[in-house]
Amino acid sequence: MRYRVRHTTHYKYANRVSHCYNLASIIPGNTGRQRCLKNSITVSPLPAVTNRRTDYFGNEAYHFEIQRPHKELIITAESYVDMDDGDRELNFDLGTSYAEALDYIGQNITPESIDAREFLLNSPMVNATDELAGYARPSFQSDRSLKTCVSELTTRIFTDFQYDPNFTTIATPLNEVLEHKRGVCQDFAHLQVGCLRAMGIPAKYVSGYIETLPKPGEEKLVGADATHAWIAYFSPQEGWVEFDPTNNKPANNQHIVTAMGRDYYDVTPVKGVIFGGGRNPELNVSVDVARLPDN
Amino acid sequence: MSSTTLSSPQSQVQSQNQIPGVKLFEYQSLPGLLDDACAEDGSVKPEWSYLLNSLGDLGLKALQDRQQISRRILRDDGATYNIYSQDGNPSNRWELDLVPHVIGSDDWASIEAGLLERAELFNLMLRDLYGERSLLRHGVLPPEAILSHGGFLRACQGIQLPGEHELILHAVDMVRQRDGNMCVLSDRTQVPSGAGYVLENRTVMSRVFPSLFRDSHVHRIASFFQRLRTKLTSLSPSNDIPRIVVLTPGGQNENYFEHSYLANYLGFSLVQSGDLVVRNGFVWMKSLEGLTRVDVILRRVDDVFCDPVELRSDSQLGVPGLLEVIRAGNVIMANPLGSGVLENPILLKYLPEISKSLLGREPRLASVKTYWCGDDSDLKYVTDNIRQLIIKPAYRGSGIQSVWGGDLTEQQLNKLLATIHNKRYQYVAQERLEKSHIPSLSAESLEPRPHILRSFAVATDSSYMVMPGGLTRIGMQPQGKVISMQSGSPSKDTWVTATEPERTEEISTVADSIQASMESPLFSLPSRVVENLYWLGRYAERAETSLRFLRTVFIMLNGEEPISPNARKILLHAVTEITTTQPGFIGASEELLANPDEELLLIIKDNKRMGSIRSTLNAMLSSADESKELLSTDTMRVINDLRDALDNLDQDLAGGLTSAPEEALDPLVTALIALSGLMQESMVRGVGWRFMELGKRVERALQTINTINSLIIPVTGKTDQTTLLTALLTTMEVLITFRRRNRNRSGIEMGLELVMLDSGNPRSLLFQLEKLQQHLADLPKTDTLKGQLEEEERALLEAVTSLKLSRLPQLLETTTDNREEMSNLLGQLEKLLSEFNRIISDKHFDHRIDPQQLVTTFWGEQ
Repeated sequence: MRYRVRHTTHYKYANRVSHCYNLASIIPGNTGRQRCLKNSITVSPLPAVTNRRTDYFGNEAYHFEIQRPHKELIITAESYVDMDDGDRELNFDLGTSYAEALDYIGQNITPESIDAREFLLNSPMVNATDELAGYARPSFQSDRSLKTCVSELTTRIFTDFQYDPNFTTIATPLNEVLEHKRGVCQDFAHLQVGCLRAMGIPAKYVSGYIETLPKPGEEKLVGADATHAWIAYFSPQEGWVEFDPTNNKPANNQHIVTAMGRDYYDVTPVKGVIFGGGRNPELNVSVDVARLPDN
Repeated sequence: MSSTTLSSPQSQVQSQNQIPGVKLFEYQSLPGLLDDACAEDGSVKPEWSYLLNSLGDLGLKALQDRQQISRRILRDDGATYNIYSQDGNPSNRWELDLVPHVIGSDDWASIEAGLLERAELFNLMLRDLYGERSLLRHGVLPPEAILSHGGFLRACQGIQLPGEHELILHAVDMVRQRDGNMCVLSDRTQVPSGAGYVLENRTVMSRVFPSLFRDSHVHRIASFFQRLRTKLTSLSPSNDIPRIVVLTPGGQNENYFEHSYLANYLGFSLVQSGDLVVRNGFVWMKSLEGLTRVDVILRRVDDVFCDPVELRSDSQLGVPGLLEVIRAGNVIMANPLGSGVLENPILLKYLPEISKSLLGREPRLASVKTYWCGDDSDLKYVTDNIRQLIIKPAYRGSGIQSVWGGDLTEQQLNKLLATIHNKRYQYVAQERLEKSHIPSLSAESLEPRPHILRSFAVATDSSYMVMPGGLTRIGMQPQGKVISMQSGSPSKDTWVTATEPERTEEISTVADSIQASMESPLFSLPSRVVENLYWLGRYAERAETSLRFLRTVFIMLNGEEPISPNARKILLHAVTEITTTQPGFIGASEELLANPDEELLLIIKDNKRMGSIRSTLNAMLSSADESKELLSTDTMRVINDLRDALDNLDQDLAGGLTSAPEEALDPLVTALIALSGLMQESMVRGVGWRFMELGKRVERALQTINTINSLIIPVTGKTDQTTLLTALLTTMEVLITFRRRNRNRSGIEMGLELVMLDSGNPRSLLFQLEKLQQHLADLPKTDTLKGQLEEEERALLEAVTSLKLSRLPQLLETTTDNREEMSNLLGQLEKLLSEFNRIISDKHFDHRIDPQQLVTTFWGEQ
């Protein structure tokens, strides 16, 4: 499957911004199941300096510095991505059991497991608390396959929690999300990451895009026309496996990854420091995921 | 039991009657306490005997006198260590104990070898942790030990400095053990502080004990700083003469004195974050000439605060975009960002293994036994033995306090244990080491005090160089357990005594660095410093005028000749106008005007009141702090006098204004006059000086206008007019000149001529305006059209012309109740001067807009 993704971030400021320094994570990279064919980023006004590099987590990072006064900032990323049709294996009951996975992660010193252990640790926005462990525990049985455990947890979050864009902000702590059972895709992803870590399974926060297919009769996917977020957990057998708690499914060829990290802090799409600008800048983000004909 | 021979009154009496040649007092170690100066049997060790004998010969009284002298030198140098908890009085003196810490050169040689090896080891560790990570990959270190540490900065992965070394400066805190070897308590690798204090301590000691210092053959420390300068210079990415700056968090930091002292000594500019800006992929310093490129930053700001774009986003101490410039190699930061990971005490647990892996051998220098709660068996040990352990955070920035388990109640212990089990990776526990004692000066004797030594190593081309000695700190009591600068522990100079005279190479390096600091170019001033000099000039002048006028008013109100209620009212109104402490006496009740003492006292000493003497002087002092590096030692001394006079003000005014209140103000006036004299006599006529002069002249002109406005504009009867004119002339110090001059014109006309138009009177209005013109002409020029005046020149020219074209008799003409012509002229001059002030500050000073976050992100607890 081939896609063209257009992601526009548009800031309007109350006052003039004299100069600014920004860091964007908005370009899909190559992962096990996706390849970025080409991409481009345009910024208005024109930056004085730009730099692209691969960051600590292997994501594409785009730095830019604007030195001319402006009241609007527009960042547009356009990417062409090929997605694998992926794993059609729907029998989650096969494979490593939860107990075997814990054992492998704790004992086996392989480069992969050492790297994965970083994603067991608390991170700036996710603390694996006892409450999260308490919520997750019913889904984890020693002899059950890890994938089934994670899948069930995904389903429970999908069922127990209500999608409510007005309840949380990015600053809402996880325990409040857990208490009120409401939130958006970031909250659900953070929650599931925290649950998995609390159960001893390394987990990453994934940010990206999702294709929506508003055909009649077909279920509309939540998170359309915006950036989306889901999770990846470490499986000794398969490496990093992605699940989407907001849509209750494993990530598939409609989930385009832009960045993975410990949590939102590591993969914030656009962040930075501005000089001036006044209060409450107006932010509009638009995402357009278009399916292209295969060649 | 008496600890020393001189602790009883009898022995003091004896000592005063001592026979020459007999020792006044001796040092005695305390039985059972580990002591560096004495052997087990109490006999003084050879390396200490020369020093202790010499001090004994001097006698306690002489030592105490020299302690006084040293305090005075430290005070004049402005040596402070600001202690955060004590608000109200942020300046705290640096405490230096006069008995040096002696280390014999053979002993030092083995310590030095251990320190050199340790610096190499930590350097390799730093390179590995941000590079290959072989220590994690090969299982030498559990990944959690590093990856859960707040000092490990993911954004710094893969950044490397040119050359062999990542770690430029390495400091180590260590204590002497019973076997004579040193044991390391902790490493300082982010912004190792203390080397500047060593330099100051050494300077003081060599002045207070010139011959003792010389005869003890103390290893010099100057070459350490020379090496530091050479190393930083060699790191510069630019081919030109590198511009190196010292980045300080600012005057509030506890080590600010050290930052400015070091910057001056090394000949680098001292900058704060707001003085730097990233532009076009480089770091620049905002100076009067615009932006000048910075090549190397010696930082004194903690890692996570250095760049709000990629590190801690709420930081006000950093430079946005800095990390990207570092990544591009366009600026060098020493120590590099991320080096705080090496301060992680968990590393001490694994250090022997790490050393075997990286150096192929165990380290020579032992470290304190450390348990990491992230390790299962360590956690069990800590749980079982918590009362005998110090519990510490793995990351100092985590907000966790260190505690001694033995100090806790059962309840507190359980709570702590629960927290530890919950956040295992974040806690370590260490044994408390017995501290060795060294002789220190107490009120009546030399007594043993526990000590810690902080050593410093600097990277050279191929290796490290260790400063001979370092910073010794001692406990407050003989058996004190806690030694830290934050709790006010005194420091000592550390003397590594050579058995042979030192090589002469060292001396030439001393000369080198002195020369370098003198060459420190004035044009490299950050514009913030220049702005502060301008305001230093303005505030000093404002305080002086206010004080002079208050003195005059006190004398007149309490004078022999009673003054009329109307004159009294005008005088008091003028007090409010001149100090700008409205409403005050403006529109005040008859009662208040009849009993003005309380309000006058507030105008002097109420810091909360804008315009009060105290608030103006405090503003002046903080401007002085910001521009400290340009002020001479003598100037700093006068500034300190002012600070003292201000501290004593409440006491001096304790009796209210009843008797000779003007006396209480005298010390302040005298200090201000001394300051203004020094500015004339001992400051280089550079850009900084010109701006201070501009500030002073603008302020004096405005205050003169204000004073004339308040006293002369209102029309009064003849007697009152004489009273008010006398007040004007007294406060402007021209009463005597006035009386001497030929009086064939009306008094008021002649008086006004003196204060407005007499360009020979250094306090006249015209004098100020003409001086302003001169200074302006001497400032560096920006590009302008030939022959066309700049805006600020225009404003001045108009003011001078209006003033010169005015006719005194006309100005003095009265309408019903005021002098309209005069009022108009003064109004116009005031407007032009305010305009001038605005243009100067718009043009030359940095108008920083505070940065803000585009997205609010977090730096959550780990």
